[in-house]
Amino acid sequence: MDLLELARGPVIQIAVYVLLIGSLWRLLGILFLQQKPDFSEPRQAGGLRGALKVIWTRAFTAPVFKKATVYSKVLAYTLHIGLFVTIFFFVPHIVFFTDVFGVSWPGLPNNVIFLVGVITVGVALALLIRRITHPVLRLISNFDDYFSWFVTILPVVTGLIMPIRFGVRFETLLAIHIFSVALLLVWLPFSKLAHTFLVFVSRGTTGAILERRGAKT
Amino acid sequence: MSTSELDVKNAFDMESKRLSIKAPEIRYDKQGDTPDEERVQKAMLHFVKDFGTAAAAYLDSCIHCGMCAEACHYYVATGDPKYTPIWKLEPFKQAYKREASPFAFFYRKFGLKKKVTVEELEEWQHLIYDSCTVCGRCSLICPMGIDIASLVSTARHGMFKAGLVPHELHAVAERAEIDGSPLGVTPKVFEERLEWMEDEHDVEINLNKDKADILVVISSIEIQKYPAAFAATAKVLNAVGESWTYRSDGFEATNFGLLSGNLDWQRDISMRIIDAAVKVGAKMVLLPECGHAYMALRWMGANMYGKPLPFKVRHVSEYLADVLNSGKLKVKKVDKSVTFHDPCQISRRGGATQAPRDILKHLGVDLRELPNGGDYNWCCGGGGGVVTIHRADELRYKVFKLKMDQVEATEAETLLSSCANCRQNFDDCQNHYDWKYTADSLLELVADNLQEEKA
Amino acid sequence: MKTTPTLGQVLQARGVSRRGFLKYCATTASLLALPPTMVPRIAAALENARRPSVIWLSFQECTGCTESLTRSASPTLEGLIFDSISLDYHHTLQAASGEAAEAARHAAMEENMGSYLVLVDGSIPLGNPGFSTIAGISNYDMLMDTVAGAAAVVAIGSCASFGGIPGAYPNPTGAVSVRDLVTDKPIINVPGCPPIPMVITAVLAQFLTFNQLPELDKLGRPKAFFGQTIHDRCYRRPFYEQGLFAESFDDEGARKGWCLYKLGCKGPITYNACATVKWNQGTSFPIESGHPCLGCSEPDFWDGGGFYKPVSTGDFGSGAALAGAAAAGVALGVAAAAVSRRRQAKTIKEG
Repeated sequence: MDLLELARGPVIQIAVYVLLIGSLWRLLGILFLQQKPDFSEPRQAGGLRGALKVIWTRAFTAPVFKKATVYSKVLAYTLHIGLFVTIFFFVPHIVFFTDVFGVSWPGLPNNVIFLVGVITVGVALALLIRRITHPVLRLISNFDDYFSWFVTILPVVTGLIMPIRFGVRFETLLAIHIFSVALLLVWLPFSKLAHTFLVFVSRGTTGAILERRGAKT
Repeated sequence: MSTSELDVKNAFDMESKRLSIKAPEIRYDKQGDTPDEERVQKAMLHFVKDFGTAAAAYLDSCIHCGMCAEACHYYVATGDPKYTPIWKLEPFKQAYKREASPFAFFYRKFGLKKKVTVEELEEWQHLIYDSCTVCGRCSLICPMGIDIASLVSTARHGMFKAGLVPHELHAVAERAEIDGSPLGVTPKVFEERLEWMEDEHDVEINLNKDKADILVVISSIEIQKYPAAFAATAKVLNAVGESWTYRSDGFEATNFGLLSGNLDWQRDISMRIIDAAVKVGAKMVLLPECGHAYMALRWMGANMYGKPLPFKVRHVSEYLADVLNSGKLKVKKVDKSVTFHDPCQISRRGGATQAPRDILKHLGVDLRELPNGGDYNWCCGGGGGVVTIHRADELRYKVFKLKMDQVEATEAETLLSSCANCRQNFDDCQNHYDWKYTADSLLELVADNLQEEKA
Repeated sequence: MKTTPTLGQVLQARGVSRRGFLKYCATTASLLALPPTMVPRIAAALENARRPSVIWLSFQECTGCTESLTRSASPTLEGLIFDSISLDYHHTLQAASGEAAEAARHAAMEENMGSYLVLVDGSIPLGNPGFSTIAGISNYDMLMDTVAGAAAVVAIGSCASFGGIPGAYPNPTGAVSVRDLVTDKPIINVPGCPPIPMVITAVLAQFLTFNQLPELDKLGRPKAFFGQTIHDRCYRRPFYEQGLFAESFDDEGARKGWCLYKLGCKGPITYNACATVKWNQGTSFPIESGHPCLGCSEPDFWDGGGFYKPVSTGDFGSGAALAGAAAAGVALGVAAAAVSRRRQAKTIKEG
């Protein structure tokens, strides 16, 4: 079994199993904790409606906080959009998703994806520098923050290397790329990267509780 | 009023512009003689004992983006990263990870999170109590939608059980539990003050009626410092023609059980009002101008009771807005420019932001909103029990500068608020800075400008 | 040892011009990535080479590899070179059969002990010796007997190199490759289904010229021919870079000759010289006719998950296994929450 077969076979398989087990474990471990009923007289509808509202509205920054957060917000949004575009609009990826999920959508030219990938890595570096230099971020950061950064950006870097090649065989690079993705999948549910799904839970929770009071969300 | 009957060990500090107990000569902010190891253990376990899905989701979704710092008046005023709201919970994350998180088993088994020391908790006492007013401004900036303020309140549960509460806050909370008032207002003192106001303002103040539609409560801060609130409330309720009463067995609106972090005391204190209201068959409990009282009874009261309350709970500003909007109460026009300081627990956290604006519209004043006010208003800096803690004074004054800038920018003639605790903090800081603004009561402005009854 | 004519003499006798011969040498040099200065040396070596003795063994095979070498439209230089070796045994081509043929094999072996080449096409069944026999001799016995005195072994085609189609799942005959059995002789794998004829002759030419084996990759393939992927040298590569792909075999993309990646082209992971050497006297190669590369020169190409399945696709296991993982996650999550709740209740009780 060569490296690529290993990557495309057992390694990615195990990574997907770990992702699935870990994510459900974490999600349900939270959802199945006690959920105390709120007996207070509601001011307005909260519940699911409030949850959905805040899941949407918290994607935007309140005007009063714009000035203070604009730098990190622009970088963070660029990072997320960059990851989204490179993951979901690179044609070989779409081919892969089509094979797994049976649906297809149009992709972007590889040159565009390459450029987006480079921007994504650049933005990630800027965010890392900010994390290291900003007093608040330096204080509150831990291993999870730095390792999650590394694990997130690694697949982008290994993906970008593929067309450049550096004299390494394509399938070795593809295997390394898949290994880096496997690492991301395995690390995700146990780290802060779980915010990919927990963001909906925490925003939703706030929405459900505070919207019911008519409080500011 | 007599202070002779008060416990000298925790003597009240009635001379200063805000009410607290006297600062201890030597700071001793541990309660009891529990061994350190056990203190830490208690703090950790009791932090998580009430953890449900909400708190767990919050602590698990933090991405350490640090934006909450930008919303916190303590960080903005000092630039000190330790005041980053989520950092204030750092030692408590360990408790969550070990005790209630989905992977708690691994954290316990392999000790994945470094052990918290009692020294750290003592240090965090400053962050959990002295430098957080639970104002909830950080909860609005968080991109993950984490309600950080609610987590600080939960952290206080652990700190209280561990006996690691700032001395003054513990003392007033203890008084509230034992005497029924954090500031030594026994039923006797309450009745004396009420009768004094009845004479002084020549208004009928209902006391201890057997049956009434509205049970009115008041905060000790008002009783001791702003007793005119008795008269103002009575004038309004009499003008509308309500059936109402104060009760000696349930008059105290403040809840220092909530502020200090003792859940049992919080329940006891709320139950006094609830029991009194049930006894008189009240359809409504009218809360005075006090921020955390609104949080304690309006939003937490029913949960202390364990079922829906058989009456409505309204803040006096909500009540006033209601009777003014419906025409049951009429007021004269007031010709001055006014700015309004929203108490965090009533507006941002409580959802009653619109009520004072309705009232001010009826009064016809020139309302000049605070820049970035309303729901995003800077906290006065005295909430959450902070105002009682002497060692936090310097920090509190420093942070208040944000408030001063905000108020001055409006160039309004009058500063109003609807929270006695905010007002006493404004008074204290006004005194400290020799500032021109005094925070006045919205209720009193209404009571002073009632239209005479039709002939 | 009887005197055999040199290769040069044979070619001359066959009417191959000097010019054509040098052209062949130059092509061989470039294929082998040798500098042009080496062309005269190749020519000299080939001209003076004694026809080496070659024994060709065919096991579980389809004769496609032999066809590839012999069934050219017109006699090719490669064919002539091939004719010019002393092919002492090749049971498909030789007139003799049975014991006479086996006698010829043994004679060649004895005569050239230690210097003859063994070419093998087809895989060797280990499941049962009776699955494939020649003159009553099992493939395994014949292979081991023949390679004992060989200078080197060349595995022609994917079956001999990697097991190929007979070795594909479920491999009913227990087919294995030459490399699986022969461990004490140099082995050159020339995989492909079939391999490019020019590649076979070039490997032989190098052996004759330098009396050495070409540099091999980790799969035993000459690096000169198997050092780059089809994708690397594909004329459709620019379409890949632009993200222009044929989505089906009869869409606009297919007609315009766009990249066949999405149709399962194995070019990116297939190492072979098809895109440069091409087939049928350099006419074209499969992708030029609009079909994706099957990856026939790679091990286990038949079991690679489908010819029309794109290369990036991984294997995610069965739906049942995924459902099992999900169920495990759910169970663990609910159990973790239950344990936490019990511990919380204990804290509350103890106060």
